[in-house]
Amino acid sequence: MKFARKRDILIIAAVAVAGLLLWAVLRGAFAQPGVYAEIYYQSKLVETVALETGAEESFSIEELPKVVFHRYADGSIAFLESDCPDKVCIHAGRLRQVGQMAACLPNEVYMKIVGAIADPDAPDLVIG
Amino acid sequence: MDEKPLGKKPKAAGAKRIALLGILFALAMVLSIVEGFIPVPVPVPGVRLGLANIVVMFALLQLGRRDALGLTLLKAGFVAVTRGAMAGALSLAGGSLAFCVMALVLALAKDKTSYLLLSVSGAVFHNIGQILMASLILRTFLWPYFPVLLLSGIATGFATSVLLKLTAPALQRLHLK
Repeated sequence: MKFARKRDILIIAAVAVAGLLLWAVLRGAFAQPGVYAEIYYQSKLVETVALETGAEESFSIEELPKVVFHRYADGSIAFLESDCPDKVCIHAGRLRQVGQMAACLPNEVYMKIVGAIADPDAPDLVIG
Repeated sequence: MDEKPLGKKPKAAGAKRIALLGILFALAMVLSIVEGFIPVPVPVPGVRLGLANIVVMFALLQLGRRDALGLTLLKAGFVAVTRGAMAGALSLAGGSLAFCVMALVLALAKDKTSYLLLSVSGAVFHNIGQILMASLILRTFLWPYFPVLLLSGIATGFATSVLLKLTAPALQRLHLK
């Protein structure tokens, strides 16, 4: 069996280009700083955090005291600590732009950055 | 180098086949642990180097579909025992989808396939399977990860294809069949 064929390289190059285009489109379409971070636990929105406050803050959600989020003064937000084994959520780093997501699978929690509040009546709206 | 064509249907004798499967499973377990030590600079759940995929590919080419699927399922079981049910579910989804796609590529292309195509399609669909399972667990479609997964799948698939190409002749010299 050959290592690579011309046809295979073309197929793979096409997929790579599609991936890059998709990435560029996603980045381009949502390239504005987020206004809120929504935190979902067990697929329910449990907390909405205002990002542009200029204040730093570490916090947890009631359901997961061992998962610590941190909002930075520049309007970004990140998973700071988690009791999960692989720490993928922490490695996701700071989120800032609309559409960005970070997830912690073992804890069934994820957050995403949004431009406006999806549900103004959501519980625990943290402002300031 | 005199290399026997891979992809033929070999019929390994019973005891030899079982011994070989045992070795391959042990190898898959070790590789699965070893790759945990190698950091992948992509902070996306489920993106791994997929070293154990080399073993599944080798089994697919040398032993046949049934044994390759068996190894895939055993590997998911091993991950579930060592890293928890969640990681096991991800491994199962990624591994099964990768196995299906690789078997399909092999069946469609027959002798006209290549290490690179097989390895990259396996790695890309391994990632896709994992992100679909992760999306199912979180009940939200994790679409922002998709482009990253495509690209990282191509990169890791390339890496494993090189490793398979390098190790396959050595393994064949052992006259395992």
